[in-house]
Amino acid sequence: MRPRPLLLEQTLAVAQRLLLEQWRQRRGLIFWAVFPAAMMVLFGLVYAHNDSMRAGLDAAAAGILMGAALFFSCLGGTVAIIAAERERRTLRRLLASPLHPAAYFLGVVSAQLLLAAVQVVMLYTIAVFIGARYHGSLWLGGLILLLSVFSYVGMGFFLGARFARRSEEVVVALSAIGVPLLVLGGTFFPLEIMPRAMQLAAQLDPVLHMNQAFKGVAAYGQGVSELRFELGFLVVFCALSLALGVSSYRRLLVLDQRA
Amino acid sequence: MTAALRIDGLHKRFGSRQVLDGFSLEVARGEVVGLLGPNGCGKSTVLNIVCQLLQADAGEIRLMGEPLARLGAAARARMGLCAQDCALYPDLLPEENLHFFGRLHGVPAAQRHARVADLMERFGLAPHAATRVGRLSGGWQQRLHLAVSLVHRPELLVLDEPTAAVDVAARLDLWRLIEGLRDTGTTILLTSHQLAEAERLCSRVAVMQGGRVAALGTVPALLARVPGQSVATVQSRDDEATVHRALRLGWAVRQRAGALRFLLPRHFSLREVVDALDGPEVSAVSVRAVTLEDAYLELVGDGAALE
Repeated sequence: MRPRPLLLEQTLAVAQRLLLEQWRQRRGLIFWAVFPAAMMVLFGLVYAHNDSMRAGLDAAAAGILMGAALFFSCLGGTVAIIAAERERRTLRRLLASPLHPAAYFLGVVSAQLLLAAVQVVMLYTIAVFIGARYHGSLWLGGLILLLSVFSYVGMGFFLGARFARRSEEVVVALSAIGVPLLVLGGTFFPLEIMPRAMQLAAQLDPVLHMNQAFKGVAAYGQGVSELRFELGFLVVFCALSLALGVSSYRRLLVLDQRA
Repeated sequence: MTAALRIDGLHKRFGSRQVLDGFSLEVARGEVVGLLGPNGCGKSTVLNIVCQLLQADAGEIRLMGEPLARLGAAARARMGLCAQDCALYPDLLPEENLHFFGRLHGVPAAQRHARVADLMERFGLAPHAATRVGRLSGGWQQRLHLAVSLVHRPELLVLDEPTAAVDVAARLDLWRLIEGLRDTGTTILLTSHQLAEAERLCSRVAVMQGGRVAALGTVPALLARVPGQSVATVQSRDDEATVHRALRLGWAVRQRAGALRFLLPRHFSLREVVDALDGPEVSAVSVRAVTLEDAYLELVGDGAALE
C-alpha cells in the first residue's frame, strides 16, 4: 500500500488523537452534548408554548446550532486544545516535530467537524421532535456547517494563541472576546433592532454570516443564489482562518519561548 | 567524515542580555556530547536553536553537513528532542503516544508498528501498555518520553536535562537506556545539571561560560585540568591554621559554601590526610577521587557551582 502524503497523514493523526482524547474524557463529552440539547429543549418548549412564536422555531433551531452548540464546541474547544497543548508542554514537542502548521489546523478542523456533525444530528432530532422543520438543501446546510466550523476554528486559534496560556484563561478569553461576537452576530437580538453603527460592525462578524446563512437554508429554504453574499463572506473568511491558524501556530513558538 | 552536528559562532541576545556569544561546537557521528554550565549560561538556548524552536541572531548550524536553515522542517524530521518536562498526552496509552508522534514524522505504517513494538519492549513499557500515560509514575512517563523521541530513528538525539525531574531509581534506569543508545551508535547532544550524569554518559563534555564553550574535552582530559588527583573536604574550628598547614604541604586550597577543600597531588587515604593535617582544630575529614564537578569548578569558578 502506498503511504499517504505527509500532510494528510499528519492531519489525520492530529484529528484522531483529538477525538480519542475527547472520547476518553467522557465527562467533558457529556457536558458538551448536554448543553446544546438543553438549550434546544428549553427554547423549543418556549417557542412551542406561544402560538405567536411558533413560526420562529425553525430559525431558533438554526440559531442554537450556530450560536450556542458550534460556538462553544468549535471555538471554545479549539481555544481549550491550544491552552492544553501549552500546559502539557506538548506544544514544544509538536513545534520540534516536522508537523506542518496547516496539518495541525486541518486536523483540529476535521475533529471539530465530526463533533459538529454529531451535534447537528442530536440537536435536530430534538428540534424535529418539538416541532421544528429543516427546509432547505442538506448539501448546502452541510457546506455552511463546514465553512462555519472552519471559521470558528480559525478564530479559536487566534484567541488561543494570544489570550489563553492556561486552561483557566479559556473561559475568560471566550467570554471577553467570543461572546461579544455572538451578540453582534445576531444570536440574541435580530440585526434590525441594533443601532446603525452596530449593524455596520456586525457585517464584519463571521458569526452573523454563519447565522444568516444557516437560518436561510434551514428555516427559509433559501438556495445558493439568495445566500451568495453570506457564502462568499464565509469562503473568504475560511481562507483567512487558515492563514490565521498557520500564523497563530507559528506565533505560539515565540510565545512558548517567553513562557 | 562529516560531523553529525556543527555549530559555528552562534549568537543570541534576549533584550539587553547576550546569552550566546560565539558558541561553537562539533559533535561527531555516534558521539555523546554533554553541555554543562551554570543556570542561565545558555545551554537550553543552544538546544532550542538546534531544534529550530528559536532563531539565532547570527551563526550557522549544519546537520550531517547540510545547513539547518536550508533543511527547514526536514531537519526536525531528522532530530529527536527529549526535555525534562514530560510532553505526552495523558489520556492516551503509551503506544498511542508513540504512534501519534511516529505519524507526525511520516513513519510508514508497517515500519511504525514494528518500531513501536520494539520500543515498548526495549524500554520495558509492555507491562504498562493498557495504562493511560497520565496514570504512569514520573519515571515511566520519562521512559516513554525518551522512547517517543526515538520513534522516527533520529540521526541526532537532543536531551535537555532528561533526568532532572525523576527520582534516583528512575534516573539510573534512564541512564542505562541512554547508555544502550550510545552503545548502538546514536549521536546525542545533552545538557545536564548532574555532573555524574555527564561523567557516566558523555564521550566529551563542553563546559559553557559567558555564552561560549570555555572548555571541551573527554572526561579524563577535563579531570587532568584539576591540580590534584584527590580531594579532601575538611571541617575545621580554625580555618586559617588549617589552610596554613595545607599550603605548607603544597596542597591547593579551595573554599566553597563554608567548607574547605584541598586538592591533593596523589591519592591519599583518610588516615594520611588526618596525619598530615594533624591539629586539634580539624573536626571532620573526607577524601575522594577528583570528579568532573571538581574540574567544572576549576573551569568556571566556585561561584558558578551546579546545584
